[in-house]
Parts: sequence; structure tokens; C-alpha cells
Amino acid sequence: MPQFEQFEVFSSLIFWSLLSFGIFFFLLKKFVFPPILDTLEEREKKIREDIESADKLKQEAVAIKESLENELKSAHEKAKTIVQMATSESKKIQEKSLEETQSKVKQMQNDMEREIEVARNKLMSEVRGFTAALTISSTEKFLKKTMDDTDRKKLAEESIEEVLKEMQQG
Amino acid sequence: MDSPLHHFELHPIIHLSLGGLDISINKAIIAMWIGLALVFGLFMVASGKGRLLIPGKLQSVLEIAMEFIQGMVDEFIGKEEGKKYFSFVASLFFFILTCNLIGLIPGSYTITSQIAVTGAFAVGIFLMTLVIGFSRHGGHFLSILVPPGIPKVMIPIMIPIEIISMLARPLSLAVRLFANMTAGHTVLAVLFGLAMTAPVWIGWMPFGFTVIINGLEVAIAFIQAYIFTTLTCVYIGDVIRLH
Repeated sequence: MPQFEQFEVFSSLIFWSLLSFGIFFFLLKKFVFPPILDTLEEREKKIREDIESADKLKQEAVAIKESLENELKSAHEKAKTIVQMATSESKKIQEKSLEETQSKVKQMQNDMEREIEVARNKLMSEVRGFTAALTISSTEKFLKKTMDDTDRKKLAEESIEEVLKEMQQG
Repeated sequence: MDSPLHHFELHPIIHLSLGGLDISINKAIIAMWIGLALVFGLFMVASGKGRLLIPGKLQSVLEIAMEFIQGMVDEFIGKEEGKKYFSFVASLFFFILTCNLIGLIPGSYTITSQIAVTGAFAVGIFLMTLVIGFSRHGGHFLSILVPPGIPKVMIPIMIPIEIISMLARPLSLAVRLFANMTAGHTVLAVLFGLAMTAPVWIGWMPFGFTVIINGLEVAIAFIQAYIFTTLTCVYIGDVIRLH
């Protein structure tokens, strides 16, 4: 077996392999391992930080969600109260305006009635005057004879009363 | 036909010597250098081209490998202590893996199939654990030879047993890697020798096996690199914790 027989190559093999390993070790330690180990450490750190910040953000999000929900709830309640208030207010206004309109209508009705009454009275007195004259003249013509003042007046009064009675009935 | 072990022979390509020590460069050393240069280049591309927080494919592979080794170091040495040894353990893993894998390229050479190399690493690691142990615990480090809770009468028997088991560690570490690599390459050489010498109508069979065994050897390259570095971690962890 050459490995146990070729003693003459042992020295060079041992020398060069140990020396090469030494140089290889030195080069790797100086140029290769530090950047890789740094990267690994950096990545681990970054991942840990990212996870931590994600957790933090999640907690914040939950808190924000809660506060928003509370705000929404209170806003809903507020809106509900406002709507209720508006409804009652409008109801009040409606009732008030209805009342006002009703009283106005009543007032107008009263005024109308009074005016009608006044007009009617006026009309009645005018009618009474005309009727008296009409009755006298027609009666005079009808009887073709003069009467004394007393008879004339009596007859006129009677005619008037009759006319009035008819008018009231009509 | 050559012996299947023939390809383990090494012949100097460039003759060099350092103070009487022969340090001639041969095929195994060149293969190792090519492998290490490739791996280092790959690492530089992956880590140098702007390391990204969201990694690309190459960076992902490298990071997975690093995290894997980091997990190993954390488990056997300890999370805090492990940081000091991470670079060494990771370099060792990639060094052995590279040497194991580069040898699977036909015509190349696996330097880890040389007992001298695996032995040098194993002894080096063993000596390193002794240095770590003595520097951390001083004389108290020798208590590693006395398992806790054994009766005092047993101590004279236990100490030699523990010394033997301690010495067996580098030996087993060296032999395991060397034997696995040698065996794998020998099997490949035998099968390929069969495929080349047999007539075509039967020769496809050993050739097919060569392909399958080659795939298996890739897995073994990873497994042996993993075992070697895991045991290194265990030994370092042992001398730090003392049992």
C-alpha cells in the first residue's frame, strides 16, 4: 500500500497540507466568514425586529379598532338622539302651526260672520225702506182712494211685517 | 493491468527542499490547491458580491452550510465558547470536504487518502485540545483522566484506560478518514479496471457500478468531512467542559 510505503513523500504532504490549511483558514476567517456571519446575524435581528414591530402594530390596530367602534357607537347614539329630538320638535311645530291655522280660520270665520251680519242688517233696513214706499204707493194705487194717515201707517206696518216674515222664512 | 492501489503512488513533479526537508510538490498537493482555490473563489463570489439580506442561490447554499456548522459547534462546544472555534471548525470542514471531493474527478488525487495527512491533522487537533485544556484548567485538566464518581480503588486502573482512550482518539480520527477515502478509491479503481478489461457485452456492468459508487463516494465525502469535524468539536467540547 503506497500510503504506508512511500515515506519519502510524507514530509512534503504534511508540510503542504498543514500550510495550505493554515492559509485557507486565515483567508476564510478574514474574508469569507465575517460578512456571512454578519449577514446571518443581521437577518436574524431584522426578522426579530419585524416580528416585534408587526406585533406592536397589530396591538395598535386592535386598540384603534376598539376606539373607532366606540366612536361609531357613540355617534350612532348621538344621531339617534338628534333624530328623536328633531322628530319631537317637528311634531311640536306641526301642532303649533295647525293650532295657529285653526285659530286663524276661526277668527276669519268670526270676522266673516260679523261682516255678513252687518251687511245683512244694512240690507234689511234698506229693504225695509223700499218695501214701505212700495207698499204705500201700490196700496194707494190699488184702493184709488185716500186714506187718513193712521190707516195708511197701519196698513204699511202690516205689509212690512208680512214681507219681513216671508224674507226670514225664505 | 496495474494494481488498484497503484494510483495512490505519488511522484514529485517539482523538486523542492526546505532545510534538508523534502517538500517536493506532487499531484496530491496540486489537486488540493486547485480544490481549495475553487472553493475559496466560490466563497468570495458568494460572500463578496454584496451580501444580501434576501440571499441568492449561491449565498443561500453557503449560508445553509454555515448554519449547519454553527449548529454543530453550538451543540458540542457551547453557544458562547463555540464562537471562538467556529472559524477553525468551518475551515476544517470545508478543507476536508474539498480534498475529498476533488479526488473524485478522474485523474485527480485525494490528499485525505494519505494516512500521513489525516494523521497530521488528527495529531494537530489532539495537541490543540491538550493546549486548550491546560490553558483553561491548568493542572486540574488532568482530572479528565478520572471519570467522575468512580471509587478510589479504581483510579489506578482507570487512568491508564483513559490515557489509552485519549490516545485512541487521534488514531481513530486519522484512520477513519484515510480508510474511507482509500477504500472508496480502491473500489472505484477495481471496478473501472474491470470495465476497461472486460468485453463490452459484460463491461457495461462494472462501468455502471462505477457510476453508482461514484455517487456514493460523493455522499461519503460529505459524511467523512462531517464526522471528522463533529469529532473535532466533541473533543474540543470535552476538554472545555472536562467530562
